[in-house]
Amino acid sequence: MATTACFIIVSRNDIPIYEAEVGSAAKREDAAQLHQFILHAALDIVQDLAWTTSAMFLKAIDRFNDLVVSVYVTAGHTRFMLLHDSRNDDGIKSFFQEVHELYIKILLNPLYLPGSRITSSHFDTKVRALARKYL
Amino acid sequence: MVDPANTPLGKMLLEEITPVVMVLCTPLVEESCLKNGLSFIQMLSPFCNFTNIDVPVRTASDQPYRLQKFKLRLFYASDIRQPNLEVAKERLKQVITQAGEKDFSEMWSDPPQVNDLLSRPESEILPSWFQFFNEELVRTLSFSDHEAFDHPVACLLVVSSRDEEPINRFVDLFNTNKLPSLLNDGAMDPKILKHYLLVHDNQDGASEKATKLLTEMKSTFGPNDCQLLCINSSQDRQIHHQENPWAPFKSDALPTENLGCFLNFDDFNEIKDLMQELSSKHIIPYMEQKIRVLNQQVSATRKGFRNQIKNLWWRKGKEDASDSPNGPVYTFSSVESQIRILGDYAFMLRDYELALSNYRLISTDYKLDKAWKRYAGVQEMMGLTYFLLDQSRKEAEYCMENAFNTYLKLGSAGQQNATRCGLWWVEMLKIRDQIKEAATVYFRICSEDPLHSAVMLEQASFCYLLSKPPMLHKYGFHLVLSGDHYKKCDQVSQSLKYCDNVPNSRSSNILQCFHLQIKHAIRTYRSAVSVYKGTTWSLIKDHVHFHIGQWYAFLGMYDVAVTHMLELLACSHQSKTTQELFLRDFLQIVQKTGKTFEVLKLQLPAINISSLKVIFEDHRTYASAAAASVKESVWHSLEEDMIPSLSTAKSNWLELQSKLMPKKYKESNICVAGEAIKVDVEFKNPLQISISILSVSLICELSANLEEMNSDGNGSNIELQNDENKTSTSTRDIDSSSILSEVDLSLEGGETTLVQLTVTPRVEGILKIVGVKWKLSSSVVGFHNFESNSLNKNVAKGRRKAKYSPDNYLKFIVIKSLPKLEGIIHSLPEKTYVGDLRHLVLELSNRSKFPVKNLKMKISNPRFLNAGNQRELNVEFPACLGKKTNVVQSGGHSNINKVLQNVFLFPENISVQEETSLSWPLWFRAAVPGNISLYVTIYYEMEDVSSIMKYRTLRMHYNLQVLPSLDVSFELSPCPSRLQEFLLRMDVVNKTSSECFQVHQLSSVGKQWEISLLQPVDSILPSQSLFAGQALSCFFKLKDRRKSSTSEDSIPSPSLLLQSDVRLGPQGNSEALFDVYSSPLADFHNSERLHQGMPLQGNEYKVDFVFISQLLKGNIDSGAPNTPLLISHHACHCSLSSMSSISWLVDGPQTVQHNFSGSLCEVNLRMMITNSSDAVASVRISTFDSPSSSIQSSDASAPQPGLPPENQAGWCDIPVVNDMKVITSDALATRFTKSVSLESVSQFIWSGSSSTKLRLQPRSTAEIPLQISVFAPGIYDLSNYVLNWNLMPSSEEEKQGEASKSSGVCQGYPYYLTVVQST
Repeated sequence: MATTACFIIVSRNDIPIYEAEVGSAAKREDAAQLHQFILHAALDIVQDLAWTTSAMFLKAIDRFNDLVVSVYVTAGHTRFMLLHDSRNDDGIKSFFQEVHELYIKILLNPLYLPGSRITSSHFDTKVRALARKYL
Repeated sequence: MVDPANTPLGKMLLEEITPVVMVLCTPLVEESCLKNGLSFIQMLSPFCNFTNIDVPVRTASDQPYRLQKFKLRLFYASDIRQPNLEVAKERLKQVITQAGEKDFSEMWSDPPQVNDLLSRPESEILPSWFQFFNEELVRTLSFSDHEAFDHPVACLLVVSSRDEEPINRFVDLFNTNKLPSLLNDGAMDPKILKHYLLVHDNQDGASEKATKLLTEMKSTFGPNDCQLLCINSSQDRQIHHQENPWAPFKSDALPTENLGCFLNFDDFNEIKDLMQELSSKHIIPYMEQKIRVLNQQVSATRKGFRNQIKNLWWRKGKEDASDSPNGPVYTFSSVESQIRILGDYAFMLRDYELALSNYRLISTDYKLDKAWKRYAGVQEMMGLTYFLLDQSRKEAEYCMENAFNTYLKLGSAGQQNATRCGLWWVEMLKIRDQIKEAATVYFRICSEDPLHSAVMLEQASFCYLLSKPPMLHKYGFHLVLSGDHYKKCDQVSQSLKYCDNVPNSRSSNILQCFHLQIKHAIRTYRSAVSVYKGTTWSLIKDHVHFHIGQWYAFLGMYDVAVTHMLELLACSHQSKTTQELFLRDFLQIVQKTGKTFEVLKLQLPAINISSLKVIFEDHRTYASAAAASVKESVWHSLEEDMIPSLSTAKSNWLELQSKLMPKKYKESNICVAGEAIKVDVEFKNPLQISISILSVSLICELSANLEEMNSDGNGSNIELQNDENKTSTSTRDIDSSSILSEVDLSLEGGETTLVQLTVTPRVEGILKIVGVKWKLSSSVVGFHNFESNSLNKNVAKGRRKAKYSPDNYLKFIVIKSLPKLEGIIHSLPEKTYVGDLRHLVLELSNRSKFPVKNLKMKISNPRFLNAGNQRELNVEFPACLGKKTNVVQSGGHSNINKVLQNVFLFPENISVQEETSLSWPLWFRAAVPGNISLYVTIYYEMEDVSSIMKYRTLRMHYNLQVLPSLDVSFELSPCPSRLQEFLLRMDVVNKTSSECFQVHQLSSVGKQWEISLLQPVDSILPSQSLFAGQALSCFFKLKDRRKSSTSEDSIPSPSLLLQSDVRLGPQGNSEALFDVYSSPLADFHNSERLHQGMPLQGNEYKVDFVFISQLLKGNIDSGAPNTPLLISHHACHCSLSSMSSISWLVDGPQTVQHNFSGSLCEVNLRMMITNSSDAVASVRISTFDSPSSSIQSSDASAPQPGLPPENQAGWCDIPVVNDMKVITSDALATRFTKSVSLESVSQFIWSGSSSTKLRLQPRSTAEIPLQISVFAPGIYDLSNYVLNWNLMPSSEEEKQGEASKSSGVCQGYPYYLTVVQST
């Protein structure tokens, strides 16, 4: 389990639709916004890299001090961004893939408007469980 | 690719990495120069830069090349040392601070938008002071001992002609103890090129003395190395140099100062020639020669395979010897230093190939020696050489990165060098359009010094902005990081100053010092704000706005601070403590501004516009808020037949008023002066902390009258805010023009509160509700305008709604005050039990001066509520319901008409006068369980005919909850032994959970029924109380009184029977029975009947019952204390299930004694047949005693075709299938065995005709004699006859298609006759 991990799903319009601090480290008030800043800044890199590869998992694309940003881009250009300090590429890849499945299930919900905030508590618990499992 | 030398970095390198000339001069020389406002070096500097020197140079190779550009750097010997780091830092800080002040002056303008920024040229985007800062930063590192290019190549010794003993002065000048440490500590060769210069000031006299001295010098120091320079040839201050060449070299010069004023054109040329000669004749040849010499040495010692092996072996052996962090100390005589010098000289003379080969050679040596700083320095130079050669970019970058990392490895000692290396690297990357990489390098340059980091980060952010495509996210992030660092330096300086214990008197000065860099911080954040504008990344937005707001507040720019803090208020996603912090800071800043802020669309609290609800009263008035919230359609259907139809009403008054009222307001809402318009607004607190808001009120505009409104807003509109009305146009007391309510409320975290605000116009005119305002604290006023298009208006106007333009929703025409009735129904329970009967009072009051008349009332649910008579107003309940023998019971029938109409008309003579109230009795009965809404609407007309509205309605709405109480059911069955008598079973179940009911009375409705108890209630229910869950079954005898005359049965005592009411209470109870025919009970009964869809005048064969019980002490509020609740239950149309129009009774002896020895026994029987229908009936009675006869009377046996044949034999009864469906199989079996056993028994036969037919007139009774002959004693069942009846309906009944049975076949009743043998 990573000590710091922040997972954010960003919709195609660059709006965060799901946020979760999944690290085991104690939550700090200012850390949360730093994480947002780093992930937000990494969007530029994602923009560049997403079209250079056909793979969805873009691996670690950006770093800030000892924090690494890994990104997974879905076909609909929804970006799963994980900020982490652990080096566990396989785990992160599996994590992203499983979250992708969950996300597709959310999309299949006829009451969910694509691009709107994901409020499902079930999704939240599942994502946190996956984070515990893989990260 | 552009020539590397022409790129910014190339130019910089050609400027910076050039030979250094050490200048040693006497004070008198300086003195002469200062006459021109220049120091000696400054005087020479403009002539050190040669753009076209055109000198042939031959270095290591035999092929000479020509050098075009060349530059010398002149330094005083005292300056040739490593600059003091602290001083340098202070200087840099000053540079930044100055820049901050300068930029901050522009800060009042709006921040530039990102898109605007991008469209500008690069030079405008980048702050100009970056370049300057970078150069200063690089210069802090000059004269390092690990690099040779800053080491002086030559020494210029200058003596003035005025000096005494100039020759000795020359010797003294090059005195070792005055020389810079570089020469003294052996880092460089002290034997350097010396050049002797004699300066003669022409103002001191002619130059003869100087020339004499020169020859003396030439003989002493050699003829080539001595020169004479004459300056200040101009005698007066007339010389003005058009393009003053000295200006760039004296940065702090005042513009008025005339630099070089004594230097005339001859001096000018002399200096120029001097410098040219110095560089081309002395310095360059000297360097050439040195390169050649060193190259030869290096080739001899290091080139070649043998030397390399030797070198390697030698270094390995040395490895463990030296372990100092900077590696071994190299003196100028060491091979390594010489190689470095060789490289640097070659670099300075632009022989980059040679330089590179030497750098390569030395770098491995330094690496092996672990002399990291030197290694890094060489790597750095290699990178630059690669760059200038424009070869192998990768190599160049690799070398720069290597150097950078190596410097970083050295820790703080190498930090400065790393910074310089990084800056060069950045420039290199920028030139190659690798701007993103440049940004990362800037990021890596960041050291622990926050100020440098801040500048570097800001430069990095600009790199991201300038990259193609622009990386705005990164730009914003680095701006924020940079801003944080700028802020951090303030904090650092703050803490430092506190440590120094500065006296208090200077504290204000210090305070200014604290915020030196905050302006930079604000500048970066301001740019960031424009980047993050409209972002949905909430934490980012909050962070940026919060900090910039705080910083503006530090600087005392509270207005700007507040605008930023306002963005934070609706931070529902933040934690509770953060929300508290934001709110507290916001309020503090607002307080500091010392003024009241009026904020449109303040986000705290949030207003739910869709919840906006306007309640106003035109001709419709409401008794309560609940009534106002009822759908208009409900009222509309209720009032439909009561009020004059809307269209006619409208045309009436509008036609009347059309001249007065402009057409565009025709469709406006109308309200009455003096009556409040209520607006419901929902406030929501998005935060987790509780907030309190004060003085919530509406913002309204009321124009005084219609005429003013016509002239379309000529400034006479009265704007009303709170109760302070600012206008004074009219002479009247303006305070009375309208009244606004103010509400203070406190919202808990996440709470939503509905606030009702009212505005009461006092004068006629046009009222417009603009919005709502409130105070968050004492000094923040929030506004919210109601935008008409988003308005969901709950008060619909029926048919006219479609015509409304949305603008008019909140616009009202105020008409002059009208009478208004207020009504209340007193003591209407909110919760009660089914059957609860009460006496209520409706009170109508009129507050105005004008009376109203023509009152009408309609009640939505007459089962629940009924209007009473005026005389019932003060009656005592329930005693008034008691039977009064003397009262003619006709009131009930008159009320029936009222119920039918559904509209209750108050008597004509009643009008509600000024300040009086009218009370009217109402009867209430809870008819069915459930949640019941009662709507009452009262119509009234104004007596004042001239008013715009002719009538108004008062609408009342009550909700009540009716709980189930008793479940009463009745079952009737015919009495077998009596004609026209029935058994009645009443089942009562107490459905409540805790209440105890006392049974009181059962009444049948209708005069024709008599009801009596079969057994006293005492025996069934000794307490007369029915407890929760308890059930009671009671049997009654019901008799049709109309037929009693023909009945010859014994008549019970009339006192008991001749009534339709039965007391169920204790016998001794003297309480009067209730009269079910009197007004309330009868009315409600009729309603019940209506409800069940029965005609009011019922079928006589159906009976209605009223069961009355009392609840003595219940949980329900009974209205009056100590009065039992009266509960009545109405059951309508109880009927005998199989009751037909024809009934009969066989009558005869039960037991006959006969001596069979004589003759057969004949028994006479009577059959009484009653036709209770209104039609003539034909009845045929068929008797049969044998199967054959049964078959013969086929019509009689037709209904039973499926009977088994054996059953048809014998005298036993033929089971009537349709009556005996429930007979079990074993019951059938016993019957069969019985019939078999009885087979042998002799039978009886019917005497007389086997079929009798008769006509029965309507409502008549006939008697038929019957006779049987019995042959043997026994018990006989005389049921083997069939009654066929057929009604012959009258013609009108046929048309109606009456559903009741018109014909039927009846089996005979069992009638047992016992015949015994008489003796």
